[in-house]
Amino acid sequence: MYGGGYLFEKTNTSELENEDQELLAIFEARIARGEKIEPNDWMPALYRKQLIRMIEQHAHSEIIGALPEGSWITRAPGFKRKLGLMAKVQDEVGHGQLLYSAAETLGKTREAMIDDLLSGRSKYSNIFNYPVYTWADSCFISWLVDAGAIVNQVANSKGSYGPYCRALERICIEESFHLKFGHHAVTYLATGTSEQQKMMQEALNRWWPPMLQFFGPPDKESVHTEILMRWKVKMLSNDDTRQQWLDMYVPKIWELGLTIPDEKLKKNEDTGKWEYTEPDWEEFIRVINGNGPCNEERLNVRKTAEKRGKWVRKAILGTAEYKEYVAPLA
Amino acid sequence: MIEMIDPRLTRLDLQTGEVPAKTKLDQLPTYEAFVQAKEPRPFKHEGGIHATSINMALIFAKEQYTRRGSCSGIWIISTKDIIVTDITDNSLDIYDRFDEIQDCDGDEYTIFHMTKRGSQHSFAGTVKASSPENALSCAKGNIERKKPVLNIWLVKTANIHKTTEEDKVLWTTTPEKLFREAIDYKTSDKLKQFKEAQRK
Repeated sequence: MYGGGYLFEKTNTSELENEDQELLAIFEARIARGEKIEPNDWMPALYRKQLIRMIEQHAHSEIIGALPEGSWITRAPGFKRKLGLMAKVQDEVGHGQLLYSAAETLGKTREAMIDDLLSGRSKYSNIFNYPVYTWADSCFISWLVDAGAIVNQVANSKGSYGPYCRALERICIEESFHLKFGHHAVTYLATGTSEQQKMMQEALNRWWPPMLQFFGPPDKESVHTEILMRWKVKMLSNDDTRQQWLDMYVPKIWELGLTIPDEKLKKNEDTGKWEYTEPDWEEFIRVINGNGPCNEERLNVRKTAEKRGKWVRKAILGTAEYKEYVAPLA
Repeated sequence: MIEMIDPRLTRLDLQTGEVPAKTKLDQLPTYEAFVQAKEPRPFKHEGGIHATSINMALIFAKEQYTRRGSCSGIWIISTKDIIVTDITDNSLDIYDRFDEIQDCDGDEYTIFHMTKRGSQHSFAGTVKASSPENALSCAKGNIERKKPVLNIWLVKTANIHKTTEEDKVLWTTTPEKLFREAIDYKTSDKLKQFKEAQRK
């Protein structure tokens, strides 16, 4: 799962002046024709850099995103929910593996990516820095956060980089199960006892603002994306992704008798766009920079796994058939 | 404020502070996994796997790439054993760059083709050859191709770890695991009941 709130480096297009202009023209023409770029193709350094950054963030989001739901497996109500949630969390971790491989084809090792995650240099989706107090919070993530990720991933699977598109196609197939699993779980709470309804409503109230932030800042504030759109690194603008999600899921939320904690929320029939109260974008930046309620805890859980597993990795590496690093092929 | 009852927080002795940088190959060497969805379809490249051995890579690939649906086999190849040609533009055949040889002998090589950018490499055939270069020429002379090939991967067949007939038990219970499938989570009846109850 992952939203559209990718953080790109400042795109300094003057870097392109140093590229071979003939090769650059071939590269851009290929993308304009709708063909994919494959690992052995020539590509501008800026394309490589931004793709690594994006795919790496996506991979970290899968891994960190598995933590809040993972902690609910043992407490999920009933055997069927436990099985389903376990399968979902396994999928998320698997998505992380697929995405790390896709990023590796661009020249960054998995070791370096994990180092950057643990040191805080690399980011992951901001929404996972919020606490998951109850089973209903976990259900909100399974259904609606995954739904947001799907809107973005379906768009990005039509992007320009072959290995990333192929990973996303696989991911989207599995996400369709996550979506149904999440919707099922939310439906049972929302149509259940008054206590279950209340628990679901409170979770929705807590998650609504981070959910709107999940798609990233408004387009007018996201600069430097023009070239990324032209190169089909970014396929949908943050606002377009947010609008698509609102269009698809607000009616489904209302249908369950739940209310959305925003009096301004309505679809403007003239423009066809949803109007809503802007979430606190200063908070968004603050949380991205490490100061959210769970940033430290999420990384500490990952660091604990890292430290505890170190001797195992060292021991099995001793038995490895060969000991040279080769990037995955595609 | 609700209390956090995350078992990780209440039971784990969480590590804090900096973690030393990873050493080389901490994430283990790389392998490539190829999956056959169904006989007699060709084996298709699925993606990379990190593992210490070809056997371990097979187990990881089974978990990573064949958790759902049907599958009739996996091949694993160490990434370093695969020889990769240049990639051409769509409609240009990479074989145009090689001589064609029909009479070939030597080690057996397995050839994979990519016929479209964005699509995965699939098994194209095997040839006997005296060297990888020779294998490309022999493939040109002996493997039928309906479309231009943009990129070729080749590997000595002896370096491919293949699942056997017996290994197929790996997947016997896969179709039973309906809890992994979207189809097992139907909500329409529940929703209908709820809406009817609301109307009353």
